[in-house]
Amino acid sequence: MLHALLIINKAGGLIYNRDFTDGLAKLTTNEYLVMAGTFHGVHAITSRISPVPGSSGMEVLETDTFKIFCFQTLTGVKFLLITDPSQPNADATTRKVYELYADYVMKNPFYNPEMPIRIELFDSNVQKLVRQTNATG
Amino acid sequence: MSQSATRASSHGRRPPILERNLVKGRTNEVSLPAFAFLFCEMLSYATKKSSGIQDMEKKLSDFGYRVGIRFLELIVFRDRIGRRDTRLLNVLSFIHSTVWKTLFGKPADALEKGTDNEDEYMISDNEPNVTKFIAVPKDMSQLSCGAFIGGIVEAVLDGSGFPAKVSAHATASDQFPLRTTILMKFDKSVLLREKSFEPR
Amino acid sequence: MQATGATGMSLEEEAKLVYGVVFSLRNLVSKLSAKPGSDGFISYRTSTYKLHYFETPTGLKFVLNTDPHMESMREALRTIYGQIYVEYVVKNPLMRQLTQSGVHPVQNDLFRGNLQRFVRSLPGFE
Repeated sequence: MLHALLIINKAGGLIYNRDFTDGLAKLTTNEYLVMAGTFHGVHAITSRISPVPGSSGMEVLETDTFKIFCFQTLTGVKFLLITDPSQPNADATTRKVYELYADYVMKNPFYNPEMPIRIELFDSNVQKLVRQTNATG
Repeated sequence: MSQSATRASSHGRRPPILERNLVKGRTNEVSLPAFAFLFCEMLSYATKKSSGIQDMEKKLSDFGYRVGIRFLELIVFRDRIGRRDTRLLNVLSFIHSTVWKTLFGKPADALEKGTDNEDEYMISDNEPNVTKFIAVPKDMSQLSCGAFIGGIVEAVLDGSGFPAKVSAHATASDQFPLRTTILMKFDKSVLLREKSFEPR
Repeated sequence: MQATGATGMSLEEEAKLVYGVVFSLRNLVSKLSAKPGSDGFISYRTSTYKLHYFETPTGLKFVLNTDPHMESMREALRTIYGQIYVEYVVKNPLMRQLTQSGVHPVQNDLFRGNLQRFVRSLPGFE
């Protein structure tokens, strides 16, 4: 089950967030913004405090009620997928969201990079992907 | 030109696009993302340089016209061995299938005659490659980015001797949210000539 | 309560960062969780390590870093708390004197020795 999707730009700003289920607490936009900022900072530190050199930032966070999958692109954009603890293949799903982002956000002439994403075509394609994943999972 | 092409290929590299044989160029495909980004820049250029939505569509259509008029030259050389259509329906089906296939890799989805007026024809594409990734913001909802394709069609018609006024319209349906229709309104002279062909 | 090193910074500095990370994550998780008051943060993983977290009802935080492929170490951390920390630190009659003389009560040989032995006995320790 996919609960929510967040996209954080390279400066730590939240540019997209969507809830898909009622599995998480309802947060206000402001709380999400703060959360994105916190996550951005924590993500950077987690790669610094690695006992082994050359670590990436946090990739998966596990809790007893959900998991957060984080995929950071080479350009510094982070895709956060909040899922059920038992969700298989969420990593692959973050890659698919990246693909949709590349297609419907970056190739859209009306989108200003780094700004919040308000694009219907992206929305509907994300919804479609989530529906498919939640139906099979 | 052909000499240098053979030389390049004997080195095991594909010759540059300008050195390839014109006739054999049919299977060359351009990456869709590469085109999408280019089109992005064309659109933002058009946005910056124009005063309103109509002006912008005009700019896009002009871009398309420049592509179309050159493209016609190439495709007539390639597919028609220099032969030119004289009948209206032939030209329309030439655009609907050959032009569309060469440009977008598939024929257009519909070719219809206007119901209200004798001189109007429509070509529709359910999911045009050109606007595949474009979601037009709400405040510009009248803008049809298909104007670019309209420009190409206009140039092909003009170049073939069938002058027409061409416009592009978004005709979205639930099944095909990106469906675009190109409306062609032909010049009087075209219809008159067409009539003269008909057996009396 | 940190059994690492080798990050190229002082242990003290590293401890601060680790504390900051687990503290932030704990808050973030409890905010997102639909169940109020659940402290559900279990672990996180990067490409090279996995950080396991366990918090006692008294607010004591235990952190263990492992290879990224290790299974959950929750039980192990619970054992470290219940059978090593409580036994050799909390129950140490000299704890107060140690603290007064500026030595952290964790730094006693009995605790360290037992911790060493326990961690070496865990599956996956090489």
